[in-house]
Amino acid sequence: MEKVCVLGAGSTKYGKLEDSISDITIQASVDAIENAGIKPKEIQAGYISNVFGVADKQVHLGPVVMSNLGISERPSLSIESACGSGSVSFREAFANVAAGFYDAVLVTGTEKVTHAGTDWTTTYFSYCSDFFYEGQAGASFPGLFASMARAYLNEFDATEEDLASVAVKNHENGVLNPKAHLRKKITIDDVMNSAVVASPLKLYDCCPFSDGASSVILCSEKFAKEHSKDYVKVIGSGRGGSPAALQGREHLTTIPSTKIAAEAAYKMAGITSKDVDFAEVHDCFTVAEVIDIEDLGFFKKGTGATAARNGETKLNGSISINPSGGLKSKGHPIGATGVGQIVEVFEQLTGQSGERTVNDAKIGLTQNFGATGASCAVHIFQSV
Amino acid sequence: MQFIYFKVCKLSAKPEFIEAAKTGNVLARKCIKCNELHLATVYFCSKCGSKEFENSILKGTGKVVTYTIMTVPPAGFEDLAPYAWVVMELNDSGIRISGFLSNIQKPEDLQIGAVVKVVDFDNRGIILEKS
Repeated sequence: MEKVCVLGAGSTKYGKLEDSISDITIQASVDAIENAGIKPKEIQAGYISNVFGVADKQVHLGPVVMSNLGISERPSLSIESACGSGSVSFREAFANVAAGFYDAVLVTGTEKVTHAGTDWTTTYFSYCSDFFYEGQAGASFPGLFASMARAYLNEFDATEEDLASVAVKNHENGVLNPKAHLRKKITIDDVMNSAVVASPLKLYDCCPFSDGASSVILCSEKFAKEHSKDYVKVIGSGRGGSPAALQGREHLTTIPSTKIAAEAAYKMAGITSKDVDFAEVHDCFTVAEVIDIEDLGFFKKGTGATAARNGETKLNGSISINPSGGLKSKGHPIGATGVGQIVEVFEQLTGQSGERTVNDAKIGLTQNFGATGASCAVHIFQSV
Repeated sequence: MQFIYFKVCKLSAKPEFIEAAKTGNVLARKCIKCNELHLATVYFCSKCGSKEFENSILKGTGKVVTYTIMTVPPAGFEDLAPYAWVVMELNDSGIRISGFLSNIQKPEDLQIGAVVKVVDFDNRGIILEKS
């Protein structure tokens, strides 16, 4: 297996964007190509992750991107795995470079939904659930995670204020990220006093609907060395699955796919959770981050909420979680998110993170899942 | 009671599952090889991989495992909010299902562990009621 590296990364701002989905996808791709210091002709294949291109009248995005990069003859494909699309796409690209099929590929995640409005988006996102049992019966994504939150609060010594502290922390980080969607500090009271969306989750427990695109150039180590530029090694990659519907899970306070993916990624990397300096995790809702940091092995089961309350997950706390601001503050353009996490890790490990830099970081981890964690991918990166 | 599913597995069991729900029952499939019980909507046993099942009609009564009260609903549910979406565990079998429960305004209206039952199936999926 070839060793695989990230050679460059780029991103649009996340938020409400005016440009079309094809435009933002191309913009992020160009950003990554220029950051990598390569020419488009050196890219041998394109991996595009996207869920709701149909909302902006463009599916089959791959050929549109490749054509605009002047490499229409190169193969491309689109990958959909709900909110986990970006990391799945990255994983498939990783596997192809590792197998030696390609020396350098483009991985771009993208989403454009804000123009469709909250009602449309809430409804269409619910199609990512096991619809027969969940979406059809009136469960939205906030509703599904709210059900997990209620189970968590019932099972462990944690409060709604503890969950709120995750949002407060991620907004603190997001203020330092020029590309974040929601760049403002909030307080526990702001979260507690925000409108209930699906009890016990309130508006400020939820990430926003965002537009945005993120892109990375993935290549063999040989290719990276030939380009004499900062790069980051991909040292671990794992994927896993969970029962699609919450009703199929024995425990609702853990996400099986995260544990499976993390175990595989740690094994490939030859490290444990203790070796990770910082992580970008899937905090679509505050409770999700709490569950993630337990499933990834950073905190014992039932102590994630306390860790958040005590500030252990703050920037340069005992482990920095979501230095980018996470989905909560940076934003969640669902097809882009998994790639955006990798952009953040790349920037952190190559000294491009400015004020939100995690001190002395050598190893970063990303965890990105689809729906309520029915699918998940975990990747581990190391600075050179 | 043995049905035709193990011979004609390509047919979806959803119509029969829905009919059972309308009479307050949950249609399950019991693996003939290992006895593992699943909802009738599965095609292969998750435990042993077999696809030979016999039908099992479970009474749709059980307890609330967790729930949410939806105040910002998806399309089609605007006039029904607030309502609860509930994960329940059936008595005896331990099988879990989820569904729609109307007239729940606030957390005090429903407790984890409360007794609920399947009463119907319509365009809102499985319909539950408090017992």
